[in-house]
Amino acid sequence: MILLVIAIPIIAGALISLIPFKERRHMEILLEILVIVNSLLVLYLLVHRPAHIVTLANFTGNLSIGFKVDGMSMVFAGLVASLWPFATLYAFEYMTKEEHEKIFFTFFTMTYGVTLGIALSANLLTMYFFYELLTLVTVPLVMHTLTREAILASRKYLYYSLGGAAFAFIGLIFIIIYGSSTDFVLGGVLDLEKIGDRTNVLLLIYVIAFMGFGVKAAVCPFNSWLPDAGVAPTPVTALLHAVAVVKSGAFAIMRLTYYSFGTTFLKGTWAQTTVMLVVMFTIVYGCSRGVKETHLKRRLAYSTISNLSYILFGVTIMTPLGMVGALTHLVFHAMMKISSFFCAGAVMHQSGKHYVHELDGMGYKMPRVFGIFTVSSLALMGVPGFAGFVSKWNLATAAVESGNGIAYGGIACLLVSALLTAIYMLTIVVRAFFPGKDFDMETLSGIKDPNWKMLVPLFVFTINMIMLGLWSAPFVNFFADVAAGVY
Amino acid sequence: MYYIILSILFPVLSGICLLVRKEMKNRRNLLWTTGILLTITGVLVMLSLYTWQGGMLALFNLTPRLPILFKIDEVSVIFAVMAVIIFLCAGFFSFVYMKHEDKEKRYYGFYLIVFGVLLALCFAGNLITFYLFFEMLTLVSMPLVLHSGTREAIMAGLKYLFYSLSGAYLALFGLYFIERYGNTLTFSPGGVISSQTAAGYGAMLLGIAFAMLIGFGVKAGMFPMHAWLLAAHPVAPAPASAVLSAVIAKAGVLAVVRVVYYIFGASFLRGTWVQKTWMALTLITILMGSVLAYREPVLKKRLAYSTVSQVSYILFGLSVMNTDALTGGFLHVLCHGFIKAGLFLCAGAIIYKTGKTRVEEFRGVGKEMPILMWCYTVLSLGLIGIPPMCGFVSKWYLAKGALASALPGFWWIGPVILLVSALLTAGYLLPVTIRGFFPGADYEYNALEKKEPSWLMMVPVLILTVLSVAIGLVPNELIDYLWQMIEKVL
Amino acid sequence: MDFVQNFPAVSILLCLFAGIISSGLRKKAARSVNIILILIVTFLSVCTLFYTMGTGEAFVYVMGRFPAPWGNEIRAGVLGPLMALFFCVIMLLSLEGGRKKLVDEVEEEKTFLYYVLMDLLLASLLALIYTNDLFTAYVFVEINTIAACGLIMIRQNGRTIEAAARYMIMSLLGSGLLLMGICMLYDLTGHLLMSNIREQVIYLYSAGEYRIPLLVTIALMSVGLAIKSALFPFHAWLPDAYGYSTVSSAAVLSSLVSKGYILLLIKIIYRVIGFDVFYNSRIIDVLFAFGLMGMIFGSVSAIRENDVRRMIAFSSVAQIGYIYMGIGMGTQAGMTASVFHILSHAATKSLLFIAAIGLTDVSGGSRKLVELTGAAYRNKWAGAAFTVGSLSMVGVPLFSGFISKLLFSQAAVQNGTKMLPALIVLGISTILNAIYFMKTVIRIYTPVESGKYKGIQFMKMKRYCLTLVCFVALNVILGVFSQPIVDLIEQGLVMFS
Repeated sequence: MILLVIAIPIIAGALISLIPFKERRHMEILLEILVIVNSLLVLYLLVHRPAHIVTLANFTGNLSIGFKVDGMSMVFAGLVASLWPFATLYAFEYMTKEEHEKIFFTFFTMTYGVTLGIALSANLLTMYFFYELLTLVTVPLVMHTLTREAILASRKYLYYSLGGAAFAFIGLIFIIIYGSSTDFVLGGVLDLEKIGDRTNVLLLIYVIAFMGFGVKAAVCPFNSWLPDAGVAPTPVTALLHAVAVVKSGAFAIMRLTYYSFGTTFLKGTWAQTTVMLVVMFTIVYGCSRGVKETHLKRRLAYSTISNLSYILFGVTIMTPLGMVGALTHLVFHAMMKISSFFCAGAVMHQSGKHYVHELDGMGYKMPRVFGIFTVSSLALMGVPGFAGFVSKWNLATAAVESGNGIAYGGIACLLVSALLTAIYMLTIVVRAFFPGKDFDMETLSGIKDPNWKMLVPLFVFTINMIMLGLWSAPFVNFFADVAAGVY
Repeated sequence: MYYIILSILFPVLSGICLLVRKEMKNRRNLLWTTGILLTITGVLVMLSLYTWQGGMLALFNLTPRLPILFKIDEVSVIFAVMAVIIFLCAGFFSFVYMKHEDKEKRYYGFYLIVFGVLLALCFAGNLITFYLFFEMLTLVSMPLVLHSGTREAIMAGLKYLFYSLSGAYLALFGLYFIERYGNTLTFSPGGVISSQTAAGYGAMLLGIAFAMLIGFGVKAGMFPMHAWLLAAHPVAPAPASAVLSAVIAKAGVLAVVRVVYYIFGASFLRGTWVQKTWMALTLITILMGSVLAYREPVLKKRLAYSTVSQVSYILFGLSVMNTDALTGGFLHVLCHGFIKAGLFLCAGAIIYKTGKTRVEEFRGVGKEMPILMWCYTVLSLGLIGIPPMCGFVSKWYLAKGALASALPGFWWIGPVILLVSALLTAGYLLPVTIRGFFPGADYEYNALEKKEPSWLMMVPVLILTVLSVAIGLVPNELIDYLWQMIEKVL
Repeated sequence: MDFVQNFPAVSILLCLFAGIISSGLRKKAARSVNIILILIVTFLSVCTLFYTMGTGEAFVYVMGRFPAPWGNEIRAGVLGPLMALFFCVIMLLSLEGGRKKLVDEVEEEKTFLYYVLMDLLLASLLALIYTNDLFTAYVFVEINTIAACGLIMIRQNGRTIEAAARYMIMSLLGSGLLLMGICMLYDLTGHLLMSNIREQVIYLYSAGEYRIPLLVTIALMSVGLAIKSALFPFHAWLPDAYGYSTVSSAAVLSSLVSKGYILLLIKIIYRVIGFDVFYNSRIIDVLFAFGLMGMIFGSVSAIRENDVRRMIAFSSVAQIGYIYMGIGMGTQAGMTASVFHILSHAATKSLLFIAAIGLTDVSGGSRKLVELTGAAYRNKWAGAAFTVGSLSMVGVPLFSGFISKLLFSQAAVQNGTKMLPALIVLGISTILNAIYFMKTVIRIYTPVESGKYKGIQFMKMKRYCLTLVCFVALNVILGVFSQPIVDLIEQGLVMFS
């Protein structure tokens, strides 16, 4: 069953490129059905979890490719499975204006499987494997437009990701040598007897591996690939570079911290301090770059950089509460960012406008899209009543609870970042709805809201953002159970 | 009991409906609709105040430990009543005033939403609910600021937004800590900081308290975060300025009251560095606002500077933390609310009728519209603090409280600054009257024409004037009511 | 004595005879002889491998039954046949993949000579693998060098002759040093058979005599073989030699010839000097350091190169750096990793050379990276194979490169002092590998507007495609089912000493 949900999208993707479709519609229908079926299977799988690890193959020694469903997997797989059908639907409409659709959908669908692979991995090696694979299947998506810019971006993406993986790999090696196994066990697998007096070396390796996986999570100074990768078609930027790919990085770091090295080993050490400071810096840095940026999608990408570090901040607190905060933001940020990216994509698709200063008065022409954009802005800022507030609340209270002085500073960073978020998001909203006294609406004639394929995902995400903001208790309780190791 | 919900939801929802509806053909319809909606809201608020039986109204939980709940206490009553009166007055005033501005529908829509959010702020029963609506207030009142759509207005609107948000986030920073170290987030007279959980964290909590004061102080225009107010209040349409200055700036005051007396508790802060620094800041603001206002030629800007100064009177009263000063502070909340709203409406009426904005252009205005100018004069006297106007009573209590406080240095500096500032107030408000009524020898009386505004403009101004005088003449009932409340919190 | 024990010697002799016979044959016949020879040797190697696995220990075959010190010995453990088998497979595939190119590039009447050289090369490689006699080893080193020179030169244009000359000079320098080392050893110990020398060395070492001469000997032999296997900074001859010779030669040279020398070095370390003695001399640290530098500088040169063949050649410098790093680690695990990397690099590098030729062929024969734009669409099979090779080089799981990286890192972690430099350089080198290989992959998958060059269909290159598939399969087998192979290597290394 586990293997099935990973295999279906990969095979389906490969098939798409082979089958000659008479009409575009046929491909759309087939693909959408496949994706939905797969998502349903995933959800079914999450409810009826297999008790054992499903082992696919054995590498050298005790290293194996294996899958299981535990709490973290449930969160991430559930998230991915619920977003993918909507993103696919959106992509159908968006891609009408782009070329080489088939190749696009091939890799887009394959990425689904690979991401699920990351989510459902039972051990570090398997995760590493899918992590590398994820890079490879997403590169064609980044270079999709084949402009010089896109190719440079995809190269950069590739170098950064593979390089990061190389350092994460070092962490993997240490876990193999110093851990009792590479399986994910809440609390870590390090064998203290084997470590002896080499604690500091291991801490150093943790930092290196953190930064290695952090490349995908766009931790400063390894973040510049993310805004560049924004040249990809919007469904990719939205789903992959705001959710699947970058969250895989964050997910991997969570696995590394909570399930491999273990918080008891890391907490209170200089390693924790180091990574926390890096993450805090990234939070502020991403936002301030976002404020300076005038290209809409790049601005959102910078926002992603900062928000990913929110998640990592939760991770670096290294308490169960911190993990709850991180998981909350992992899920909630997905909703918020995918929706704002989809709005940006809708604007680009309908009007061809890319820059913030071109958006004057657009709120009147595309009221639905910009209404949703406003909601997601508010959510990203963390206005109470929207999803962002809850996750920020969880993060901040976890930081307070931890009693760690640096974490207090982290709260300050969160709030500074919230302010900067307000600046870069609300200036767009204000421009769109209050274009100024002598703005000539005629220049925008002919622009209107997109059709249902784009709007349905947007509406669903918006409702989610508000629902999660007002009624987050079941989710947060679930995350707390995950952090406590109930699943 | 559920009138509270209704009185909050009704204006918000009707405002939203107004916003999303298509443009109405007939301006009259829009005005009638808005008028009726405003009145209904007012009635709902009164009903909810009357029918309130104590206790709390918990709506739902944002997260398991964060309930959204409402309750009404004395502070709520004072602020809510003031809000209703000023909102209704300014609302009806704008029916005429807004004729010369575009996009009226949008204006009324946001006006109603702001009204609802403000009421929610008054009725908020715990800090998180308060914070929620505090942030909402910023967001929904911004469109009022940048309504005119000029570049200046948009910039001012954004400035307002970012200042307010940074303040709110500073407060949120404290909120996280209070959630951990306090017993509860519910407002309780005397504070929620328990000695057990907070033991050993005293210094940190004081820092938190200071951060929250500065944060919430942004809305009240307290130095050093006052710059937005000077930019934002003058560019808004006059009735909006009235609301902004008289009510929304008070939201900051309300926040400070809630934080100091209902979360931390006066006893926790009294005598600490937080109190002293805060007091120093308010005094600086008072003086600075007056001086700036004195040097400002444009009337609306002058009034905005005056707001900076006057709101800090209130904050000063709150910072002294004794009965007399608190009484003075709360009295000044009402006083300044009515007077400043009235003054802004007067300024609006003058702009509407004559198009003049600078003080030196006001020669002979008093001859053209005598009733309005009389109202202006009365209101000015009230703000300066000439007995028997209301400003006198409030400032009297403020000074008395300051003198009675045992704080070294402050007990005499405070009253002195109050006095100097009162002189400056006279200096910046009365020239308008003087120029208006005494245009000088070379004024051509032949060209004079009566420009008295219509009754729809006049009546709100008159109501506010009367109220301000009334408080000055018969303050005892009010003071008794205040003392009841103060007894609980101190 | 079992019959199988004759096989190693037989295979060497077969190769030599085949070479001699081929020199009198025509082109086609020479080719057939070559193929049959390789198949036979493969079969013999398999038999030997199973035999040694069965007995679990190495056997010594005394040539002509003359006892030491006059006789000549052959010794085969698990590692020897394994390597022989592997080398045969690679050679067969490389020749098959470059066959078409060979026809184009080598003059008709010289083709038979090519196969003669190949036969001799195989003979020398097998000898290097099996021999237990230091002097025999030296002789075959020379044969190897000459055969390799011929392979480079056989495609006659100016560059190859220059390259061959360079190769010759550097190689001879290396052989010279090796010879000096052997002479000194002979002087010190009075033996040429490895096992005998070892006993003497251990004796000398424990007695504490001739410390300095012993050290110099070790240094001379190590440096000599390092030059021959193109360890940084002795790699100057390599890019031209690999870059301009015909593709089969390049593939064979890069994946087999230099590896033969490395195997010899490992053999000397284990069987002649003794692991402990070698470890205690500081030479090992020098090898380690040069290995690390090679990893970095080889890749940096590759990044700066814009000729695809030369780029792959420079990548070899980096990969050889990996191997020396593993040897330099001075642990069993490091050695295992190095030997595994010999296999994995051989499989990958020859794949890359063969795939690259497919790509350049559809780009007008130009090897400039710019011209290769979109080549993967013109030759889909070669494009895919090149991608696989690149991924393996970068160390993506599922492919052989990942396992070597894994083994190297594990070895590094278990080493106290050399851990951090090794790990960090491994990381950096992976990034550098990613940069130049992925750059190329992206380039070949970037479509071009105009149809400047024509594509090629599957039907026209069936054998070529088949070869590629075999290579990829080999890579994947090494990547996925590595455990038995690693076990064999470990077993073999134990038998070695």
